[in-house]
Amino acid sequence: MKIRKVIVILITGKVVFGLFIGLASGFAVGAGFVAFVTVLGVIPRLTQLTKTMQFIHYYEAAIIAGVVIGTWLGLQEVKLFWTKWLLVPIGLADGIFNGMLAAALTEVLNVFPILAKRMGIQEKVIYLMMALVLGKIIGSLFQWIYYVDL
Amino acid sequence: MDLIYLRMRNRVHVQKNQQVRLKDVAKFIGDDEQVKKIEEEVLLTVTHEDKNIIIIDLVQVIEAIQAIDQSIEIQTFGPSQTIIEVIYEKQKVSFLAFTAVWLLLFLGAGMTIMNFHVDVSMGEVHQKLFTLITGREDRKPLLIQIPYSFGLGIGMILFFNHFFKKRFNEEPSPLEVEMFNYQQDLDQYVIMNENKESNRHLDNR
Repeated sequence: MKIRKVIVILITGKVVFGLFIGLASGFAVGAGFVAFVTVLGVIPRLTQLTKTMQFIHYYEAAIIAGVVIGTWLGLQEVKLFWTKWLLVPIGLADGIFNGMLAAALTEVLNVFPILAKRMGIQEKVIYLMMALVLGKIIGSLFQWIYYVDL
Repeated sequence: MDLIYLRMRNRVHVQKNQQVRLKDVAKFIGDDEQVKKIEEEVLLTVTHEDKNIIIIDLVQVIEAIQAIDQSIEIQTFGPSQTIIEVIYEKQKVSFLAFTAVWLLLFLGAGMTIMNFHVDVSMGEVHQKLFTLITGREDRKPLLIQIPYSFGLGIGMILFFNHFFKKRFNEEPSPLEVEMFNYQQDLDQYVIMNENKESNRHLDNR
């Protein structure tokens, strides 16, 4: 009887410990994600572009819902059997979001102001930006279409 | 006693050997005759030793005014110094250097995005997403990846609010704000360091 009790306690302890570790790592990753998105200021930029400042709380909810659902589906082996054409808008949205993150990162690092000043090409900065944009698009296409087969 | 209001300008562009008059560095309001006399006063002539930045402090302007007429009372507002930028020949942008930087950015951007995709296993995630939605497997889910690639570019353009030359609204883009901030920092630095009135060394007398 006593041994059984000990085993039960040990197993509950193991489960509680596992739950605790999972929750703690989730906290850390979630906080990091939010900090990253906040520092880069992608959401304020989107509200500024669309003039929808008043909905910022719904945008927060969208980010949280996206993270939670994405995490869950990513960890399960779910198969939905939907049409493959749904992937096109998903891929496009994925790309736009990543592109905004990349652009924000470049901006945080202050690359363009310094480069433009050094070269004395204040007005042609837009062409340098297009170099980055085209580089990203073509680099990405090259990788998915050709490079993965090498 | 006459009262004269003066506001220093922020930034003035001059050429080599040009005379800088008081009206070039500040705006004066007051008695017409007196203002005219003050405005035409030559403050300095740009020489080669000046390099490309001269800072005119407010006190230098006040000194010059008092040299004309001691009894003038001066009210100042606006910035307390003017940055004079000496433009030597219009800096010509070398086409070769521009092309080199353009190619550097282009290839660098392409390589970093490929490295990033490998780093975060983007390909595997796309394959898994394909399986999740359609229930089938595809080693090259181009249906996600091609829109994704173009989305990358669209996202960057959206963020910087530029569609080549066309813009979506009147607000300055983050890039322009960033350029402005950088220029302000540079100005702040030269105001503190090139201004003879703001630094004084008493330690090696």
